[in-house]
Amino acid sequence: MKSILRKKFPGRIFLVVILIGASLVFYWQINSTKFSATPYQLPDLKFFPRKVNQIEVNRLTVEGIRLGRFLFYDGRLSGSLHPDSLRSCASCHIQQKSFTGEGFQMEKNATELSSDYQSIKTGSHEVLPLINLIYNRNGFFWNGLINDKNTNKGPSKGLRYQSLEDVVWISIESKDCMGGSIDQTVDLISSIELYQPMFKKDFGTEKVSIERIDKAIAQFLRSIIAFRFKLYGVLNGEKKFEPDELRGYELFHSEKAGCFHCHAGSLLMTTNEYYNNGLMMDSLDSRDRFLFTNYLKDKGAYRAPSLINCEITGPYMHDGRYKSLDEVLDFYSEGIQYTDFTDPLIKGAIEGGIKLTRTEKNDLKAFLLTLTDRSILADTSFSAPIELGIYSIRHSSL
Amino acid sequence: MKYLNIIVISLILLVYSCYSNEEETFNGTLSLKFNHVEGGNPVMYDQPVYSNAAGNQYEITNIQWFISDVSLVDNTDKIIPLSNDWLHYIDSDLPETQKWTLMDGIPPGEYSSIRFVFGIRGEKNEPMMFTDPPESNMIWPYHMGGDEGGYHYMKLNGFWVDLMAERTPFNFHIGVGQVYDNDQKVSDFIQNWFEIELPFSSFTMPAGGLVNADINMNIEDWFQNPKNYDHNDYGGSIMDNQEAMGTIRDNGHNVFSISIN
Repeated sequence: MKSILRKKFPGRIFLVVILIGASLVFYWQINSTKFSATPYQLPDLKFFPRKVNQIEVNRLTVEGIRLGRFLFYDGRLSGSLHPDSLRSCASCHIQQKSFTGEGFQMEKNATELSSDYQSIKTGSHEVLPLINLIYNRNGFFWNGLINDKNTNKGPSKGLRYQSLEDVVWISIESKDCMGGSIDQTVDLISSIELYQPMFKKDFGTEKVSIERIDKAIAQFLRSIIAFRFKLYGVLNGEKKFEPDELRGYELFHSEKAGCFHCHAGSLLMTTNEYYNNGLMMDSLDSRDRFLFTNYLKDKGAYRAPSLINCEITGPYMHDGRYKSLDEVLDFYSEGIQYTDFTDPLIKGAIEGGIKLTRTEKNDLKAFLLTLTDRSILADTSFSAPIELGIYSIRHSSL
Repeated sequence: MKYLNIIVISLILLVYSCYSNEEETFNGTLSLKFNHVEGGNPVMYDQPVYSNAAGNQYEITNIQWFISDVSLVDNTDKIIPLSNDWLHYIDSDLPETQKWTLMDGIPPGEYSSIRFVFGIRGEKNEPMMFTDPPESNMIWPYHMGGDEGGYHYMKLNGFWVDLMAERTPFNFHIGVGQVYDNDQKVSDFIQNWFEIELPFSSFTMPAGGLVNADINMNIEDWFQNPKNYDHNDYGGSIMDNQEAMGTIRDNGHNVFSISIN
């Protein structure tokens, strides 16, 4: 057959015929697609990262983000209909708090934690805010456990411990989060008529799977971008610092305080790296970064969180031990515990802190307040959909 | 139908271009591997096993730095800048940064040396030009570097044993220096980047060939030659200390060596 074809269509002509045939097949496949979701356009932000963690098989779409928002707020995400068991991402990640928590762990132990951190039980870490996650390419959770180099396998094919999508199913199953079951979640969401056309629009099928739930919620999370804070306006030439804010900005970026080494670089106000910042060693907490890297220098190391909206996202540190920014500044000024594992970038560690004056603390705080973007706290494109009715997880205004 | 025609015509042109009879230039490729060494051996991180010329016992946590403006000198002393790929970031915690295959095609021939800039030239060291980590994490504060001092040239972090026998952190960081007036306000900036012509870096690039070169950063040499650097003199933080950074700059001319495979 080959030799007949080669006689009829010798050399380059034979190759062209093959290529034309391949093109026809390719063109037919493109046009046989039954649906196409609408691509979502990310804002083009100066000084923000260009690279994102959007994985190839989960491009942002308008339909996917909408579906993800519904699921994010739907109390049936935990897999239960019982009013006392309704839980979703929104149970702990509250829009009015920049998608961090109320420090529910703190509610019981608030007065004890600051002075006696030993009373912290093993278990939950403080809820991290869900903003600008699309730009994070260096692991999720306080210790970065969920990262693209984690080769552990999840409970079923396709589930891993690698991406923002995996954070979703882990949160459904984790007793520290929804305490549910992904099988029950899939069964329940499948039975809800509201979702069938939404899954069809984004995935081309009404069939619900945990992978599709993960993808939709991850799309919604990636769409939450906070950038309308004063510092952004200053760097773009649209706004000006007050004198105390400018002094605070320079102190933040100085050798004395050295905050910028961990909390700057781009306008994310974090390097997205992990550091032991001199908190008193919590021997009860086994979930630091050392847990899975086994590097001694990762003992007591946690991620440097973004300082965007830090005015709102307290309590602070991985265990929520500090209730206010003032307490955080006091810690870095006089409360550092220097150990063999303290990161060398932590200034003044040997002396117990950087010894800030009262004015310097006020100036630093004034600068930190320029990192507040209140627009996302009430932006309805990130809010609970009215259509969810009684199943919507809402919080009364804080 | 219109799109199908475009696809087919494009593919036909592609096929014919593959059979072009035009002569091709067989440029070669230069690949650089960066090694951090102490006493000729790879650095052992987080091990307090080193001692510098000033007698400081120390350990190294990590190293991050920029190399830029690599150029070649041919056997007529002509300098050939490799400008397509002008800058590279190296990080001891990121193995993928420790090898750099330059995009520029290298014409076949004899070359007498390899040159590069340690750090970034002032006119290219633009504030906020990097938006993504890890490069963006090398930010140098604007009030300490001005319009030509956007980024650190190097961060070398670790610990030394100080005069009180305390294991003390050091941030051996170099970038643009400052001149302070009597009121301790910055009145001027000093560029501390420098260009190096590597000794014994001659090589022959065959047509279409690959030349691999190991560039070694000999850490102990940052602390000596021509001047001993004593951590006890400067302390652990030196970004606002031009005397310290000037010493680093001067010593830096002797820090790098090369071997070509």
